[in-house]
Amino acid sequence: MVSDTTTLEVEIWNALAGVPDPEIPAVSVVDMGMVGSVDVEGSTARIVMLPTFTGCPAIDVILKDVRAAVGMVPAIDSVTVSTSFDPPWTTERITEEGRVKLKEFGLAPPTGQGPVLITQIGLPEVSICPFCGSRNTHNENPFGPTPCRALYYCDDCRNPFEQFKPV
Amino acid sequence: MSDALVSVLTALADDELVLGHRHSEWTGFAPHIEEDVAFSSIAQDEIGHAGAYYSLLAEIQGVDADSLALGRGKSMYRHAILCERSNGDWAYTLARHWLYDHADEIRLESLEDSSHPGLVSLARKIRREERYHLLHADAWITRVAHGPIEGRRKLVDVVAGAFVEASGLFEPFELEDPAVKEGILPVPSPELQQRFETKMIKAFDELGFPTEAPAHAEDRAEFVASSSGDLIAGEGNGERTAPVQAGLGGRRGHHTEEFDGLWDDMTITYRNNPGATW
Repeated sequence: MVSDTTTLEVEIWNALAGVPDPEIPAVSVVDMGMVGSVDVEGSTARIVMLPTFTGCPAIDVILKDVRAAVGMVPAIDSVTVSTSFDPPWTTERITEEGRVKLKEFGLAPPTGQGPVLITQIGLPEVSICPFCGSRNTHNENPFGPTPCRALYYCDDCRNPFEQFKPV
Repeated sequence: MSDALVSVLTALADDELVLGHRHSEWTGFAPHIEEDVAFSSIAQDEIGHAGAYYSLLAEIQGVDADSLALGRGKSMYRHAILCERSNGDWAYTLARHWLYDHADEIRLESLEDSSHPGLVSLARKIRREERYHLLHADAWITRVAHGPIEGRRKLVDVVAGAFVEASGLFEPFELEDPAVKEGILPVPSPELQQRFETKMIKAFDELGFPTEAPAHAEDRAEFVASSSGDLIAGEGNGERTAPVQAGLGGRRGHHTEEFDGLWDDMTITYRNNPGATW
């Protein structure tokens, strides 16, 4: 059976959309903009993933899950998954849908549009509480449970929450 | 494959691994819980950066990254001596964190123009993440420097000595000349060191820190930087013969006793079970 490459690529992207970020299961690797490229040649797929933070320990799990998910696509016989830092993953890559899902998960999405210049990297001046929408919040720690998150506290609804660090 | 590239990547990786390991020693012991989280996270970043450098090296050399990180004898490591020093107290930890991360920023900025594409993309990525370490270090140093006298005094006691040892981060790499010629290092290490010292002496002046190490810190500094940036003999090192400038030698595999315990600790699992996955 010969599949049209474009259709096959769509199938692969759909499979990737079903692979959750193991540390933030509410979003997929596609929502996170972690898929660098998808190439199909015959029945071979080559996927390049962009690690969010270099030291993120979830990357091995992600690569394994991506390999398994793409391997389930009927027309695919072999899958190669690799990582690359070129281009670097940046928070700009998180999709609009991904940002909505992060917020629903209780994690304030990175704010701002467009590329973040190196000199602009840092915590946002105001972080918006993902639970009540208040701007009356403060940073408790620029670091958190994973390399990509900072800890905040909402002074209105009195909930702790996490902010995705712009990078 | 270039031997010069291997030499540079090994030193970069070893700096990050060894300092990352020291930072991780605060996990469970930092003065308060938020710093426990912060240092654990910074440690994870640094060890992750080391992992990325080792992976690049492993690809070039056709070996396994873990064997590079954990399967070498002590004298095979090329990190600067500053990175292996015991954490000491909180003041020393902050001083070293601050100096190291400013040095790393200067180094990474230059490596963005390296002739090796793999190193360029890694430097670009790592530099973005390191911004958070810099912000953290600057915030703490400013806070302690302008805070109660006891904390300030503790910082002043150690920061100049650590500054002297930070020059070890810019000790020329083995095969520095070919690395410069091949464009792997777009800026030679001594020039980066000058940039670093100019920047830090300005910061020292703004914070009102002396750039001369106090006399009782002689165990860390035989030579100290004057505010002009020249190295002068520190006080209290009269008996030492043929003093080597403190902090140098790491890039040639010379390490202090303080590295012994760290190495034992860091490599014990690997030595007991080479090739284990976890």
